[in-house]
Amino acid sequence: MINKIARTRWAKRWLPIVLFIGPVMLYYLGFMVYPFLATFYYSFNTIAPVKGVMVTTFVGFQNYIDLFSDPIFIQSVKNTIIWSVAGPVIEMLTALTLAFLIYFRVPLYRFYRTAWFTPLLVSGVIVGLVFRWFFNNEWGLLNASLRAVGLGDWALNWLGRRDTPLMAVIFVHYWATFGYSMVLLLAGLSAVPEELLDAAKVDGANIFQTITKIMIPILWPTFITVLILSFIGKMRAFHVVWALTGGGPMHFTETVATYVQKRAFGWSTLDLGYPSAMAVLWFGVVIVGVSLLNRWLKRQAQV
Amino acid sequence: MNSYPYKYQGDPLIRLQKTTGKIAISIPLIIITLIVLIPFVWMIIMSFRTTAEILNDPFGLPKTLELENYAKLLFDPEIGFGRYFVNSAIVSAGALSVTLILSTMGGYGFGRSRHKFKFRGPVFNLLLFALMLPPQIFYIPQFTMMSKLGLLNTYWSLILTYAATALPISTYLMSTYFSQLPSELEDASQIDGCTHFQTFWHIMLPLARSAILTVTLLNFMHFWNELLLAITMVTDPRMRTIQAAMMMFVGEHGSNYAIAAASLVLSMLPTLLLYLVMSDKFIEGLTAGAVKG
Repeated sequence: MINKIARTRWAKRWLPIVLFIGPVMLYYLGFMVYPFLATFYYSFNTIAPVKGVMVTTFVGFQNYIDLFSDPIFIQSVKNTIIWSVAGPVIEMLTALTLAFLIYFRVPLYRFYRTAWFTPLLVSGVIVGLVFRWFFNNEWGLLNASLRAVGLGDWALNWLGRRDTPLMAVIFVHYWATFGYSMVLLLAGLSAVPEELLDAAKVDGANIFQTITKIMIPILWPTFITVLILSFIGKMRAFHVVWALTGGGPMHFTETVATYVQKRAFGWSTLDLGYPSAMAVLWFGVVIVGVSLLNRWLKRQAQV
Repeated sequence: MNSYPYKYQGDPLIRLQKTTGKIAISIPLIIITLIVLIPFVWMIIMSFRTTAEILNDPFGLPKTLELENYAKLLFDPEIGFGRYFVNSAIVSAGALSVTLILSTMGGYGFGRSRHKFKFRGPVFNLLLFALMLPPQIFYIPQFTMMSKLGLLNTYWSLILTYAATALPISTYLMSTYFSQLPSELEDASQIDGCTHFQTFWHIMLPLARSAILTVTLLNFMHFWNELLLAITMVTDPRMRTIQAAMMMFVGEHGSNYAIAAASLVLSMLPTLLLYLVMSDKFIEGLTAGAVKG
């Protein structure tokens, strides 16, 4: 009987597909798609332990309504958006410039490429902790250097004030990721066909015309991808913030990712529904942000 | 054009013409490089000093090469750093195994079935959809799942969830690789009487060694450096991964910066050594997914 089924045309066609794709898709459905959908379900409930047992109570849109009157959430949204707008702009401008310089083989270009890539290898925890010490008020390398050269007045408590901590977070994450964007753009640049550059030279184009009229248009799809990756990276960043400031002081560097973590598992608020609502809302913001960026940048290419 | 410090040569490379130009362009680049490297150097120097020295004189070099911090980390049972190292190694190896088995099979399935099955596009897109999503949209129910399965505070909770987050990119990379192999290989082995699985196991998998290495490096680095799930699924101090342990160190041994610095240096050794051995493969792995996507 089984042999008979296995010999049908249908089985010949589908059996291998089910055999190879089945396991990965089942695993994915179980551990990713189900949790994804469950987050939506959670967000309409209060899920809290009552006498040691998790009890789910339906609350409709209450979690979402509460979000808009939660000053810490509003602060964390503000911080994350400032970061996700400022971060990628700075990163793309510098990474593009540096990628061009390395492409044109400035002296020591191999060394630069390797050196700038190293921060990417170490974990966000290491990056965060090293810079937590680097910015330390009393003995951090930055303030110690400023005092040593007589700029003691400039030595601020970088991570302990109202205005500088968010800038520090943006800088540290930028420090850790600009090399990655640079390498991605460099890969895109090396895909530009040499014949085109030769042709441009024969036609008498100067270096600026070659860059703006030929190289950038060809690089544009890669540029869009890298920019969107950079944007997503800031919208979801957790490790560096957690290790550098933990969202403090006074939530001045709180991001949506750290606040979700605190409300779900850190504080003793004991409700998984509320942070789920944050996650869902943020998922929406990321999707809308990415598609707007994508559409806007593609239109730029057509002009 | 001549006033510009670049000379266009026959190839696409433009070299700096004058020494002054070379120096002018090198100064900002070297400053950038210093900003990138100094925190590392400082961290390594810190790890060879004592906390008292660090607090008194942030710049100083280690007076004697103080190996005590490392000795304490490795051998002091109260700190027990070796345990966290082993925890991370077990979790990474376990998650890698699950990821590699599922993603090579899935990648083969997707890569070799380009026109052969009807719902390939939507199914593949469903898998790739997770690539751009923040982990926050998955991890709260992942936590309840692990709680219901009784797996919290075990290696399994991290192995299973790490593998899940790694599957989309890994399957995608494997499928890209498999789709570039010539289909004659498959036809020949089928004629020789191999089953689909034999073809996959004996013919295709050995050919994909390079792609498997890429996927391994990419995921190893991700697993070794992960923190969000590590602090969520595991709260038992003995079961912590190395990243979670370092965060704990700063809380508990907060005043002992020298030991903390040594722990950072030790924790980054595995990735750093792999990078030194195969830096090209590493860069390839980290860029492969992005540029094609």
